Amino acid sequence: MRPAEPGRMPEATQVTTDPYAAATGLVARSAAAYASGVPEAPADDGFFGPGSVTWRMSADLAAPIAGLRALLLQALHPLAMAGVDEHSGWREDPVGRLAATSAYVSVISFGDKAAAERAAGRVRGIHQRIRGVDRVTGRPYAASDPALLLWVHAALVESALAARRIFGTPLSDGDSDGYVAEMVVAAELVGVPRTQIPASVAGLQRYISSVLPELRCTPAASESMAYLLDPPGLPEDIAEIWQDVRDGAIAALPEWALAMYGYGPPGPLTPGRRTEIRQALGVLDAVFIGEPGVLEARQRLTSRMRAARIA
Amino acid sequence: MRRRLLAAVTIAGGAAVAVAVARRRLGRLRLERGLSALQLAARGGMRYAGSAPRLFAAAGEHRQQLRQDLALQTAEDVAATLGTMKGVLMKIGQMASYIDDGLSPSVRRTLSRLQDSVPPMSAELAAAVVESELGMPPERAFARWDPEPIAAASIGQVHRAITLDGRAVAVKVQYPGIAETIAADLENVALLRRMLRITAPSQDVDGLIAELSLRVSEELDYRREAANQRLLAAYYQGHPTISIPAIIDELSTPRIVTSELADGVRFAELATWPQHERDLAAETIYRFVFRSLYEVHAFNGDPHPGNYLFHGGGRVTFLDFGLVKHFTTDELKPLMQMVRHLCVDNDPEAFRASLESAGFLRAGAPLSTETVVEHLAVFYDMIRTPGDRTITGDYSSAVVRRFFDVRSPVTAYASIPRSYVILQRINLGLFGLLGGLSATANWRAIAEEIWPFVQGPASTPMGEAEAAWRAARVTGRLSSGRESSAPNRDDGSGVWKAIARQFSPEESAHDP
Repeated sequence: MRPAEPGRMPEATQVTTDPYAAATGLVARSAAAYASGVPEAPADDGFFGPGSVTWRMSADLAAPIAGLRALLLQALHPLAMAGVDEHSGWREDPVGRLAATSAYVSVISFGDKAAAERAAGRVRGIHQRIRGVDRVTGRPYAASDPALLLWVHAALVESALAARRIFGTPLSDGDSDGYVAEMVVAAELVGVPRTQIPASVAGLQRYISSVLPELRCTPAASESMAYLLDPPGLPEDIAEIWQDVRDGAIAALPEWALAMYGYGPPGPLTPGRRTEIRQALGVLDAVFIGEPGVLEARQRLTSRMRAARIA
Repeated sequence: MRRRLLAAVTIAGGAAVAVAVARRRLGRLRLERGLSALQLAARGGMRYAGSAPRLFAAAGEHRQQLRQDLALQTAEDVAATLGTMKGVLMKIGQMASYIDDGLSPSVRRTLSRLQDSVPPMSAELAAAVVESELGMPPERAFARWDPEPIAAASIGQVHRAITLDGRAVAVKVQYPGIAETIAADLENVALLRRMLRITAPSQDVDGLIAELSLRVSEELDYRREAANQRLLAAYYQGHPTISIPAIIDELSTPRIVTSELADGVRFAELATWPQHERDLAAETIYRFVFRSLYEVHAFNGDPHPGNYLFHGGGRVTFLDFGLVKHFTTDELKPLMQMVRHLCVDNDPEAFRASLESAGFLRAGAPLSTETVVEHLAVFYDMIRTPGDRTITGDYSSAVVRRFFDVRSPVTAYASIPRSYVILQRINLGLFGLLGGLSATANWRAIAEEIWPFVQGPASTPMGEAEAAWRAARVTGRLSSGRESSAPNRDDGSGVWKAIARQFSPEESAHDP
């Protein structure tokens, strides 16, 4: 299951500009980002709420794999990747950029409506200013383009389902559809017209198939993948656990995405290897719980979910 | 909130009806059955009738604050909370909590947060475990059953109850499915090795893993704990200051263990008592640890401050025997040789030779014996010379620091053989405990009472009472033989004689 070295490196690696900064504080900053989004005294249940599939999935062990897999898919859209690569400070402060995304996902998922709308408004504002021309394809791009936003959204939603199906607690078909439907509002919040957003698993798969011809692994994608799969500067213990997370994310990728990154078709994921990856995820989760505020945030959510179940 | 209020009502009124109200969801039929069971038991159990309600109520007063709103409802909740290494990490954390100084602050924080992260079982889930183990729901198996736990245990929780024959008891109930998930996680030795290399960098990691796996898998079967507690309770029966709650055999199974409920003051409160009381409590703990080691060949591996109840006058109730290490005579022998050569014979070369033969020190290490003694003597400081010694917090920290002192020239040649890994941890835990009490005693004189190779005279009033107890035990056994029929009975007296023979002066004179 160990991945081979990415064999076919895309042409024009020399496009590389700056090296990536070290991934110092990845766990601590992700944890702070997560905790910051879980309110202590919410005005309302937000866009999902304690009875939602979204909340129920939130503490799943497979979340880091879902996140990593989503990034690997998102990066395959040349225009989405170009926007991130050229504007977001991704190379200078990758951990900060990831933490900002984590904080955003957390507040959208768990915050009350006002907090979620504020955060979405900020992101829409930032996106308005991000435009450019992709150096690889020569195509112009704008971060506010619903087509790009929808791809980013779809990659995240589909990865959440895939990671949980393979490494976490799988959802029933009904809950999977429910999750995709719940997530429609998240895409709307960043500015995708509702009519374009898939609202079922089947719709999501159809949408992804329709985008496939546009996807490719640009040098920026390849570099950012190399960074994500083996982030420099992690503490030794986290780095070793990250190898299992990485293997898990790769095992959960669709074959077409693996092919674009230069991997052959994945070997079968043996039950033993799956268990090992889950155990590494468990250790990572324990480390995450050890960060300030995370346990309290989880307990706030669990408590509200329990109360909703009893009511 | 509601439930807590009702529990308070129960304590105040002591009425079974209030318990039943708290369990209103269980329905009227069960309530009536429970009440009739209580009435039946009241007739049969007069012998316990006096103390049981008081103990039951006291256990409620000492209830730990547990987050009932987060309670685990299903076996799946348990697996999500304690599966995939988290239960194993918690056990590592439990063992590591005695060696705090060896851990980085972040690891310590992670391990302690992990323990905080485990909520109690819901009343229904705990009842389901009891029912699957005893074949009937708790309100039928017991005359009174408090559905709300009084304390968290590492892989379970403790409920207070009154048995059908009227005894107030503590029932430890294991989380369902936890044994299976921990057993599976312990098989991932590669991951454990990584974790432990970080957790305890200066340790023999493989030895630690082997010991940890063994201890944890033993701890998962509560029958083992019950057997340990029975063994020690039988040995200390009638002891003037050491008390061990009796196991209720018919209400103990692999996943639940029922023992008599005891009341007393917790460690934190003892620390506020007059120094004289603290000294006496420390003396009892010291006697318990080393009598158990030398005579029962057993060592309670969990000297956590929460595992003691104090009653004044040095009387201590010892709780929780989930982590007991048993030693063979061969394993014990080097320990005794070491203490004897260093403290009694004052023979550093012989001390070094016994360290080497036990595997604590690599043979032929390019170190002067003086250096070796200087490095290790701190562990024996309190017993090397007679006279009153106060174990201060500074001293116990110094012991722990020395243990983890990677800069010492000795460290490169030192290791802890597998069978002693736990002993060393507990030893450090004991120092921590006594240091926390700033206890003063003539530890050397007490040790001489206990050392089989000295068998010194009673050195304190407690020692005199203990000597009388020991004499009564021997005559009692000779005259009646009554105790010999008890299951798991092994007071180690035969072993004790064998050890005494090994350490007779004539024999040691021929030691190489």
